[in-house]
Amino acid sequence: MTASLTLGPVLFNWPVDRWRDFYARIADEAPVDTVIVGEIVCFKRAPFFAEAMGEVIERLAAAGKTVWLASPILVGSERERSAMRDLVRSDATLPDGGLPEGGLVEANDMGALALLAGRPHAVGPTINVYNEATLGWMAGRGAVAVSLPAELPAATVAVLAKAGRELGIETEVQVWGRAPLAISARCYHARAHGLHKDGCQFVCGNDPDGMPVTTMDGQPFLTVNGTQTMSHGCLCLAAEMPALVAMGVDRFRLSPQAMDMVRVAEAFRAVLDGRRDGAEVAAELGGLIDAPLVNGFYHDTAGALRVA
Amino acid sequence: MRDPDAAQTVSVCNSPAGERARRFETGLSRAGLGLVPRLGRRASDALLARLLRLLADCHPRAFEALREMPDARVLIEPVDAPVALLMRVGPEMSLHALPRGADGVGEALGKAGADAVVRGPYDKLLDLLEGRIDGDALFFRRELSISGDTALILALRNTLDGEDEMDLVADAASIAGPLARALPVLRRNAGPVLDRIDAARRLLPPPLRRGIERLEARLGGTAGTPPGGLPGKLPGMGA
Amino acid sequence: MDNFELICPAGTPAALRAAVDAGADAVYLGFRDETNARNFPGLNFTRQDVADAVDYAHARRVEVYVAINTYPQAGNLGPWRKAVDDAARLKVDAVILADPGLLDYAAKRHPDLRLHLSVQASAANVEAIRLYREAFGVRRVVLPRVLTVPEIARLNAEIDIETEVFVFGGLCPMAEGRCSLSSYATGLSPNKQGVCSPANHVRYEQRGGALASTLGGFTINVFGEGEQAGYPTLCKGRFVAGEGPAYLFEEPTSLNAMDLLPELKAAGVRALKIEGRQRGKAYIAAVVRAYREALETFAAGRPVPHIDLQAMVEGGTQTTGAYTRAWR
Repeated sequence: MTASLTLGPVLFNWPVDRWRDFYARIADEAPVDTVIVGEIVCFKRAPFFAEAMGEVIERLAAAGKTVWLASPILVGSERERSAMRDLVRSDATLPDGGLPEGGLVEANDMGALALLAGRPHAVGPTINVYNEATLGWMAGRGAVAVSLPAELPAATVAVLAKAGRELGIETEVQVWGRAPLAISARCYHARAHGLHKDGCQFVCGNDPDGMPVTTMDGQPFLTVNGTQTMSHGCLCLAAEMPALVAMGVDRFRLSPQAMDMVRVAEAFRAVLDGRRDGAEVAAELGGLIDAPLVNGFYHDTAGALRVA
Repeated sequence: MRDPDAAQTVSVCNSPAGERARRFETGLSRAGLGLVPRLGRRASDALLARLLRLLADCHPRAFEALREMPDARVLIEPVDAPVALLMRVGPEMSLHALPRGADGVGEALGKAGADAVVRGPYDKLLDLLEGRIDGDALFFRRELSISGDTALILALRNTLDGEDEMDLVADAASIAGPLARALPVLRRNAGPVLDRIDAARRLLPPPLRRGIERLEARLGGTAGTPPGGLPGKLPGMGA
Repeated sequence: MDNFELICPAGTPAALRAAVDAGADAVYLGFRDETNARNFPGLNFTRQDVADAVDYAHARRVEVYVAINTYPQAGNLGPWRKAVDDAARLKVDAVILADPGLLDYAAKRHPDLRLHLSVQASAANVEAIRLYREAFGVRRVVLPRVLTVPEIARLNAEIDIETEVFVFGGLCPMAEGRCSLSSYATGLSPNKQGVCSPANHVRYEQRGGALASTLGGFTINVFGEGEQAGYPTLCKGRFVAGEGPAYLFEEPTSLNAMDLLPELKAAGVRALKIEGRQRGKAYIAAVVRAYREALETFAAGRPVPHIDLQAMVEGGTQTTGAYTRAWR
C-alpha cells in the first residue's frame, strides 16, 4: 500500500513554545510522512511563528519528514499579498527556496496558485476542487497533489481519486480533526470578546482547540478559530479508510487538535497498514477529544452527523 | 405581453384614492370569503373550483408550475377573517374554504391535514398573493408567520410572485358577472363613494347568492347611472 | 464620466420585467436547476423563459447575464456545460462562472461568450484575478465581500479587467464560495446544490410569543415578541460563545452602500450589484428604482439623496459591511 499520512498545519493560535514542542514531538514520534506547516488562518499571528519556523522545518526534515509550507486561506490586504509572494518563493524546486528536498508550497488561495504556475506545487483543501475538469486544469499547471474540500461526498471523492491517478496528481482526504467550514475578513473571536480585529489582543490564543459555539438551546454546534469557523464535531473517517484506499485516494490528512496527535497518527498508521480496524480506532480516539466524531459529509448528508 | 389592466391597477393603487379603493376591495373580498362556507361544503367547493379554473386560465404559467409541485397542502389563514383556505398543490390541485376556529397554527396544521401554514392579516395575505408586497419584508416584521414545510411556502410564494401583477379581486369578481364590469368603474371612481359602498357591504345578508345579488345591484348601479349623485370622476385622477 | 452599471437580480420572469422597467442596466438570473447559486423552489428560468427575458431586455437596451456559479459535480459535468452552451445559444450578454474547469470549457468552446467571474470564486487579490483573466479571458470580476474600499482601489489600480461590487441586499460575512456552514447543518451547500440554509431544512416554531427558527435541527435564532425576525441563514443566527446569546457572525442586516457611491467611483468600480434573486418583484422594483435614482443624481454631480429602503431589509437594519474597516 502506497498511501501516506499527512499532518496538516496547526490551525489554532498556540503559544510559539507549545507550537515548537508540538512539532519536535511529531518529528520524533509521529508516523506521518508529510508535515505541512504555516499560519494559514490569520496574518496577524504569523510573526509569532516566523521566528521558530526555520528551526521546526529543519527538525522535521532531519527526522525524515517531507515538509510543505502552506499559504494563507484569505489574501486580501497588501501586507497579506506580499507575505504570500514571499512564501511561494520557499519551495525546494527553487535554487534559493527555504524548504528541504521534496518541500512544496501548498496553495490555499487562487492567488498563490497563480504564482506557483509551471512548477510542482500542492493545492490545499480551501481551494475549490469539486470535479475532474478543475482537477485536470490544475494538473496541467503543475499541481502534483490536491487535498479535497471537506464537504465532498464519497461519490465525488471516488471520481476525483480515479481522475487523479490518470492525471498523475495525488488526491488527499482529511480523515481527522475539526472540519474547516468558512473563512472571513471579520474576526469572530475578537467580535465575541467585544473587540475589533485590529485591536484583537490575540484572544484566540485563549482557546487552543478553538472557541465552542452552542445554539441558544445549549446544543454544541460550531467552533470559532479567529477568522475561521470550524465544525464542533471532529471529522473522523478511520472506518472509511479501506474504502478510500480502494478508490485510489493517495494521502490522508490529520488536522491537529490540542490533544495527543502522536497517538492519533499511530492509530491511523495502524489502520493504513491493515493492523487495526478503523471502527475500533474511531471508538478509541473518540474518547480523547471533547467532541462527537462526525462523518456526514462523506456520507452525503449533514456534516454534523455520524453515519454508522 | 404585459396586461394593460394590471398596469392601471398599479397606478390607481398608488394614489390615495387608490389606496382607499384597495382597502375597500380587500374588505369586500374578505366579507365575500366569509360567506363562502355558508353555502355548504359542496357549493363552496364548486365555487372555489371555478375560481381556481379561472385563475389557471388567467395565469397559466404559475398554475402549471403549481401542478408540477409534489402533492401538498398549504393552509392560508387570515387571522382577521372567519375563513381559512386550504390549497392543495400538485396534480390534484384544489381549493377549500374552512371555518377558522380559535385554534393555534399548530393545531390547524394537524386538523386541516396541511403540510404548511401561512398566517397573517387578510389584507397582507392578499397583497402577498398578488405580488404587490415583499413577503420577506412582511416576515421580517413578524406580520406574517409560517410553520410546517417552509420550502412548500417558499415554492408557492416564488411561483405566484413570478406572475406579473395578479389581480385576484378582479379575477374572483369576474365569476359573478356584473361585479366584473363594476370593478374597473369602481377603481376609476374610487374616492368618497367608497364610504357608501363600504356601508352597503355591512348590510349584506348572510346567504351568499342574495348577498352577491344586492352587491351586484349596487355596484352595477355604479357602473351604469350613478344613483344618489355619485361623481363621475374624481378631480386629479386623470383620464 | 461613465456612470456605474446597475446589475439587478431576477428570480422570475416577472421580476426581470420589474428590474428592467425600474432602471436596470443588466439583469442577472439563473436556470431552474443546481447550476446556479439561488436554486430555490419555484424560482428561476426555463430555457424559454431566458429566451423571452433576452427579448424583453434587449428591446429595452438592457443586458442579461446568466449565473452558472455552482461547482459542477464530479462525474456529472453535463448539466453545467449544457447551461453554458444554452446561455451562449440564447445570446445572453455574459455568463457568471466560478469553477475553473467550467471557465476553461466556456473559454474554449465559446470564445466569443463574455465571461464574468462570480463572487462564488472569491477572487480577493490581484494575483487571483489576473489568473482568471489570463487563463480564461474573464472580462469582469465580482469582488467577494471581504474587501474595504481602499483595498478595492488598490486592486483596481493593478488589474485590467472590470470590477463589480455588491451594494445592496443580503450580506455573506464569510468569503463566498468558501463556506460549508450550510452543508454542515443540512448536507446541502451553496457550492454543490446552489442553496444556503435551504428552506426544506428550516422549521419555525412558536414558543409562546417567541418565534424560534431551526435549521437541520439546530436552533438558529429565537426572536422575542415584537422583535424583527430574519431568515434562518446560519451565519445570521444567534449563538452562545462565552457569554449570552449574540449575533456571533453577523446581525440580520442588509448591505446598503448607497452612501459610498463617490468612494466606489474613485476606487474604479465599474458595476454595482444588487443581491436578491430570491426576493419578490416588489422588492426588486423598489430597490432598483431607488438605486437608479441615486445613480442619476450622482452622475449629475448632485449629492446622493438618502433613499429609505428600511422596509425592505432583513432585521430592519443596514450596514456598509466589509467596505469599511470597522466591520472586521
